[in-house]
Parts: sequence; C-alpha cells; structure tokens
Amino acid sequence: MEVRAGVFLCNCGGALKNIDFDAVASEMAGIPGVASVHVSSDLCLAPARDRMISCIREENLNRVVVAACSPELTEYPLRRTVQSAGLNGHMLSMANIREQCSWAHEGDVTGKAVELVKMAISRARLLQPVEEVEVGVERSVLVVGGGFAAVNVGLLLAAAGLRITLVESTGTSGSDGQELGSIHGFDIGSLVTAAERDQNIEVLTSARVVTVEGAIGDFTVTISREGKNMARKYGAIVLATGSRIELALATDSDSSAEYQGIGGTNVVSQDQLVERLSRPASGVKPATLAFMVDFADESTRFSTLATLGNALAVRKVWDSEVYVFCRDVKVDSQGAERLYREARDRGVVFVKCPAAPRITSDNGRVMVEAKDVLLGEDITVACDLLVAEAVLYPDPATAALGSVLGVRLDEKGFYQENNVHLYPVASERKGVFFVGTCRGQSDVGRVMNDISSVVINIKDLLSSGKIMVESERVKVDSEKCVACLTCIRVCPHAAIELRGTEGGKEKAVVSDLGCHACGICVAICPAKAIEFQDYRDDQILAQIEAVG
Amino acid sequence: MSMKGTIVAFCCQHSGYPAADLAGKLGLGSPEALRIIRVPCAGRVDVIHMLRAFEKGASAVAVLGCEEGACHHITGNTRAKERVEQCSMLLKEIGIDGRRVVMFRLSPNAPRKFVDVTNEIEMAAESQGRQDDNR
Repeated sequence: MEVRAGVFLCNCGGALKNIDFDAVASEMAGIPGVASVHVSSDLCLAPARDRMISCIREENLNRVVVAACSPELTEYPLRRTVQSAGLNGHMLSMANIREQCSWAHEGDVTGKAVELVKMAISRARLLQPVEEVEVGVERSVLVVGGGFAAVNVGLLLAAAGLRITLVESTGTSGSDGQELGSIHGFDIGSLVTAAERDQNIEVLTSARVVTVEGAIGDFTVTISREGKNMARKYGAIVLATGSRIELALATDSDSSAEYQGIGGTNVVSQDQLVERLSRPASGVKPATLAFMVDFADESTRFSTLATLGNALAVRKVWDSEVYVFCRDVKVDSQGAERLYREARDRGVVFVKCPAAPRITSDNGRVMVEAKDVLLGEDITVACDLLVAEAVLYPDPATAALGSVLGVRLDEKGFYQENNVHLYPVASERKGVFFVGTCRGQSDVGRVMNDISSVVINIKDLLSSGKIMVESERVKVDSEKCVACLTCIRVCPHAAIELRGTEGGKEKAVVSDLGCHACGICVAICPAKAIEFQDYRDDQILAQIEAVG
Repeated sequence: MSMKGTIVAFCCQHSGYPAADLAGKLGLGSPEALRIIRVPCAGRVDVIHMLRAFEKGASAVAVLGCEEGACHHITGNTRAKERVEQCSMLLKEIGIDGRRVVMFRLSPNAPRKFVDVTNEIEMAAESQGRQDDNR
C-alpha cells in the first residue's frame, strides 16, 4: 500500500522560537510519501486534535508523524486521536522537537529539528497496525496462604462474585494470624469461619502449588493435596504466604554468645510480653523493662510499632521504668509518630546507641550495656525484663513457590515487587500479586492497603470476564523458530511458552496478555524469529539511516 | 547539521529518555550532535543497531539504560552492557577505537547525569578525532 504520511508540526504555542517552522515544513513537503504538512500551535488541545482527525480522513492519510513535545507526554493521547480518525493507533510516529531539541540547545536548531522529523518519517513508512482484540479471562482467583491477608483478600474477592481457592500449606488456616492477632486484636478465627462458609470460596488445607502455566487471565495451576494432583484454571494468583518472626538480641556475635547464658524467662518476645500484660495479677511486675529496636534489621515497621504500643501499655499496666534501646526510631508507619510522642510524654526513655548493646546476666537481671549517643558515655541498665527485637524472615516456602511462579525474590528473600513505590502489590509476571509480609516488612496499615489495592486490581481485571489486549504485537515466526528456548529463559515476565503448532512441532509462543513489550527476547533470539511491532529491527535501523 | 560528528544514543524509555526530557525542560544543554532513538528497554538494542550507526558515520554510540539492579525489565541493562562490550570488540577488530561505543546507566530523574555523560561522550569522541566518513 502506498504510504501517505501526514506530518503535523507543533510550535507549542510559539514557545519553540529557535526552530524555523516554515523551513521545516517546506523541507518535509518534498520527502517521498509525505502527503501533507501542517503547522499548529496547540496539538495538545481538543480543537487541534479535531483538525488532525479531519485531515487524516480528508487527505486519506495512512501514517501520522507528529513533531511536538516528548512522546512520554503525548504519545498515548495522540494514539487515541489517530484511532478515532479510523486509523490504527500504531500508525503514529513521533519526533521530540521540544524537550530534546528546542529546549535542549541554545541558538537556531532548525537543522536538528529537520533531521529528527526525517527520522520519524522514515520510521513511519515501516509501521504496521496492531489490532486490539477481546480475550476471555477466567473469573477465578488462586490465593496462596491462609493468614490474615490471604483470608481477607479471599473474602473481598468472593464478595465481588469471583471464585476463590485458598491454598494453605499447613493443616489449618489462620495459624499465622494468631501472633499478629495477639498484638493488634484481630479475631482471625471468625474470618476463617466466614471464608469456610462462603460459597464462592474453596479452602484447601495441607495443599501446595506444584506447577503454574499460562498467563494472566488463563493460568493453569496444578495443586497437590494428599498425594493427588489436580489441575485448575485461574485468572489471577495472589501470594499471601506471610513471613516468620525470629528474635534477635544482638548483631555482634560477642554479646549474643553471652546472652545464651541467660535464662529464657527474662528475655521475651513482643508476643510473650502481651500475654504477660494481659494477666497482670498472676505475675510479678517488672520494675525495669527494656526494648530493643533497629539493630538486627534495617526495616523495623513491625518491631517499632509493636514496641511503641507495648511500651505505652507497660507504662499504663505495670508503671515500670521503660527503656527503648535503638539505633533509630523509624516512624514511617501510619500513627507511629503520634505513638512515639505519646511514649515520650509518658516517660519512656529512648536510648540512641550506634551499635547493638552488650547484654549480660547478673543475679537473674539482664544487664544492658550501651553507648548513649546523646550522653556521649557508656551506660548500663539493669532490667527485669528485656523484650528482644523481632525480625521478619520470609516463609521457608517462599523461594520454592517463587521459582514455580517465575517471580523473583529480593536480597532478603522476600518476593520482589514490580515497583516498590508505584506498584508494590504486583510481581514482574502479570496477574501474580503479593499481599502482606511476603513482600517484606510491613505493618497492619500497609497490609490493609495491600489488600485493598490487590482487590481493586483483580476486580478491574477479571470481573467482566474479558479484557482488551493488543494482539501479536510481539510475535514469534513459527517457521523461523528452532525452539532453542532462549527467549523462554530470558523473558523477565515469564510470558513466553512452548506450545505445539499445527506442524506437530513445539514452538515458542508469546502470550499477548503476559507480555510487557520490552523487546529483550527480540534482540536475543538467535534465529531472529521474533518481531516486535513499533520496534522492529528495520524500524530502528530506518531511523539511523535518516541521521546525518 | 553541525561539523561535529553525530552521536547516536539509544535511550531506554524508562530511564535515559525521560532523563533527556528532563534535561531539556531544565535547559541544561546536551550536545547538539546527539540523536536519540527511543527504545522500550536497553535490552532491545542489538549489536547490528550500533554497528549500523558507525557505518553511517556516527562518531560515537551510547546506550542509556536503567541503573544497575533497577532495570525496569530486570535484565535489560545487563544484556545491553554485554552487547556494547561485544560491539566494542568488533570495532577494535576493524581498527576503530572501541571506546566510541559506551553504555551508561542512570535513573529517569537524573537529568544532570544525562548531560554529563552525553557531554563526556562528545568530548571523548572529539579527542579521538572524527571517524572517517566511509558512507
């Protein structure tokens, strides 16, 4: 088909003064394939978009080249504009003449602008349409885990009408919730009962996930239970496998060795402290009590919140002297700053020390010896009770499940989020989500946030039973594919699989749903069998050809 | 077109490209000889792309990807680095200074680093002399 490209130049309301737009326009007019050149000053506004639409229709354009601001800003809305003119959205090629030309340099840059537009035009000639198609998705979700987060996600998604399977590795659901429940006052038992009664929820205890195939919307999962394997279909997978808490008293081996000699009765966990606090009459009141925070682990969301809350409770119930030994009190959880101020007001003493305190035993009392940064000298506090720092470690099954699912772990062994700030509940593999402490240190507020955002994401994805997806934007040519598995090995999003073709041979197939369009497989394929529309080799090379 | 040799920069749309945009917005001034080609990930850039740029007479080629350990697509930046090294070896074999092709890793919010590295590339390319135009 003959290329008829419309070139749309935008001078950004006259702000790009160092480009002579008339000169650029006349230069473009002579290029083969360019049907028309338009200069406007406000391509980001609706009237100019409408003019663009009518130009595309009237002049029968089949390529649109826009030279304006960065495609980071305008590529997506312009694609929609091009689409509403009846053209495929991928028939758009952009030249960034604002941020990377006019604004980047002083003096006249008409020459560079001309070159950038020429590069965009030569790429435009080779563009091909990418169709959007509707694909059906399974309206069911697999939730792995049986704790507070898992059961909550299950209940909320079941309420949205999705079928849920809760897979728990131990014999009972909700066991992990007990510890948290004792501190934060949840009733995990009633949640589990509600889940077991819900018609949309199937609870499988003593079960584990063996294999996962397919992509978002269409996962095939093999679950093993009581020696039998069963295959199920799911649209999405939520991992809520939680973590385990270990007590850490000191980071340097020297003092931890001495701690070994201390009996277990006067060194306790937050959990045990809560238990003792809840029956104050039975035990002896400790006169002096110390907490340790931020020595064994840098992320202290859990231990800081528990320490602040429990320190206040100790002051109130026992009226003991309370010391908190810390490197820092990190108040990044919601409400932690308020708790910290309140604790100081109520007489809790925070001792900031650069290294873990030395802990020794003296006549049944715990001696905590530390360098106080503010006093500048060593102090020793004799305590009746020492609350050890709680450190969160990933659940032992995390690594194995991660490799089954093709999701990565971070340096501490927790699941690695897609983006820790922007998309913390998603994995690198589309359709696989994380909730709660399986993705690292968390506090209850953050777990609640995780739960809501996963529920919203999955409802969005699956509740209608179908989603729109770009079809075959990245496509393996099965004639060229030699099934060497290189692409399957390198795909960071586990979106490529081997599938049988009509010829009877197995070839690599890219899942339209799971693909993130990074192009890593395209560059690495030794047979050059993978085509990536918009970033095909010839499309990239055409831009280089147009340089200079 | 200025007399300076062209620098072709393949910029990852998650790091190098937004950094270039920011540098422009702040008016920090990158080399005018820079021609940026946007790629979805540094891992998309292949040796053939870099070599073609040299064939066309580019005085330097740069691949700008995400920071180490922070690649949007996990392994794209390390694969790009390997390919840049491979390209550099090929250049040496045909008598072109292998330092003309470089890989840089930066974050999308690092416009100053973008300007520094692109100016560095330009200065290095100039000091090595303009590559013979063998188009």
